[in-house]
Amino acid sequence: MTRLIEAYHRLLTRLMVATVAILVVPVSLQIVARYTQLIPSYIWTEEMSRFLFIWMIMLGAMIGLREGTHFEVDVWPELGRRANAALRIVSHLFVLVFALVFLYWGIKFVEFGWYQESELAELPMPFIFIAWPLAGATWLLFLGEIFVNNVRILAARDES
Amino acid sequence: MTAVALSPGVAALILFGAFFVLIVLRVPVAFALGLACLPLLIYDDRLSPMVLFNETFKAYNAFILLAVPFFLLTANLMNIGGITDRLVHLSRTMVGNWPGALAQINVLLSVFFAGISGSSTADAASQSKIFIEAQTREGYDLSFSIAITAVSAVLAVIIPPSILMIVWGGVLSVSIGALYLAGILPGLLIAAAQMATVHVYAKLYKYPVYPRATFRDFLCSAAHSVPALMTPFIIVGGILLGWFTATESACVAVIYAALLSIFIYREMDLKRLSHALSETGKLAAVALFCVGTASAFGWMLAYYQIPRALLANVSTWGMGITEVGFFIALVFLVVGCFLDAIPAIIIVGTTLEPLARSVDMHPVQFAIIGIVSLAFGLVTPPYGLCLMISCAVAGVRLRYALKDTMIMLLPMLVVLAAIIVWPQIPLILPQLISPEFLR
Repeated sequence: MTRLIEAYHRLLTRLMVATVAILVVPVSLQIVARYTQLIPSYIWTEEMSRFLFIWMIMLGAMIGLREGTHFEVDVWPELGRRANAALRIVSHLFVLVFALVFLYWGIKFVEFGWYQESELAELPMPFIFIAWPLAGATWLLFLGEIFVNNVRILAARDES
Repeated sequence: MTAVALSPGVAALILFGAFFVLIVLRVPVAFALGLACLPLLIYDDRLSPMVLFNETFKAYNAFILLAVPFFLLTANLMNIGGITDRLVHLSRTMVGNWPGALAQINVLLSVFFAGISGSSTADAASQSKIFIEAQTREGYDLSFSIAITAVSAVLAVIIPPSILMIVWGGVLSVSIGALYLAGILPGLLIAAAQMATVHVYAKLYKYPVYPRATFRDFLCSAAHSVPALMTPFIIVGGILLGWFTATESACVAVIYAALLSIFIYREMDLKRLSHALSETGKLAAVALFCVGTASAFGWMLAYYQIPRALLANVSTWGMGITEVGFFIALVFLVVGCFLDAIPAIIIVGTTLEPLARSVDMHPVQFAIIGIVSLAFGLVTPPYGLCLMISCAVAGVRLRYALKDTMIMLLPMLVVLAAIIVWPQIPLILPQLISPEFLR
């Protein structure tokens, strides 16, 4: 299971790297098109960059939970290993609520935009909106793994 | 059944109360902001959790925020492409013979870096790796080394280009070109204050000095760095001349840094490139995800008219323009301790704007006061991103370097006060170079 999650994590990371790399292209096209006759000034460059950008953020936010890179505020004194694990379980319960909200209402969000098309390139909007429920589902998966790890630490008897 | 409409006070209590409780429980800030909206979204019949989706979507669907990953990418490309190394060498020939040489180089490099990248977090991350270990090896105290690296990193958002200025300009409709010009002088003053601090430290603790570099050395390394040092002129000039928009300028910076790394300095390979891309995406995404939920949170505040209720009191105090300036700085300094700068601009900047307008404070001065105060927030705990990064690189807890950081902040606060008292400091450059942007 861990290996499957790891593979999924790596896939998400690859996709995110791709979005960052491609992001430079439409914006450059936009500038080049304005000043030269080399390429026609495509109207969809701006929209395309925005959509890539949305996917980059959502993919990165999914990965961030597993890597523990979402910013936190640390107001606690130095905690022991187990106290730390206990606090993590509590805080991740709230993240769990958030993930469920993203999944449940995210699906409605996609249904709501089912017949919408983007203004310029006429892409179907669900391609974009689906990032939200996908984030919710991905978080649920990663949270499961995090909970198991923290419960293991908590259950470990030997406190050294 | 219709629920009773909530008063601003009650709504504020629920929103902020939930937010703070969640923060203390160490729920990540981005999730805490979103979760804090939930009780009201569900309770209030006129709202639904859909607001959360609409507002986050709207926030991410903004072309202007694209500047964030671009500036991060520029910084990462500089590091892997050999630009940073050349700038370190140049700084060494310039200030290497001053007391506290390596720390002076640290500050000066931040100034150069700030002129190319617009991201303080990228600056803190790369310079922590370069300087903290090198400084402690030469006999500098670890806490001093961490503190000066973190504190000098804040220059990146004050000296143009700057992510915060782009966001501020976008959210509050201020000319980004004017903000860029206005940031130069305050940024250099803060750098000078930091160098003076280093000087005093170096004298007190007898930190080492390098032999003076020859003038020839200086010229050589300056020549090597010229292509890199052109970046700020290309970016700021390009915006002022209307060649490209602020967001596009960030993309130009990426392309320019990539070209330099590939063709001039020739130190980039595919593996490092993919690493730079991945680092960029990860950091940009978690920062921007937070912006999305902060926008939803800000929308809730506006919906319940909480800012207006809070300010109704303040405007009866009858403050003059200078008092309002100090009040604004204080609010941003306090908020900056707890919130990331971009959400802070969205929530607090828009809240305070009517107050600044009521005393005829120039929007550009208001912006610079806000941005400088928020930049200081990058090194103030509990949520001081640059200090967190530097401490993480050094492998110590945030508390360890706190005292030195606070000492270094004092001279910087003097500069902030000067900006408030003398509006000319930020306004003079835009007035001289492009007065039409100030209108």
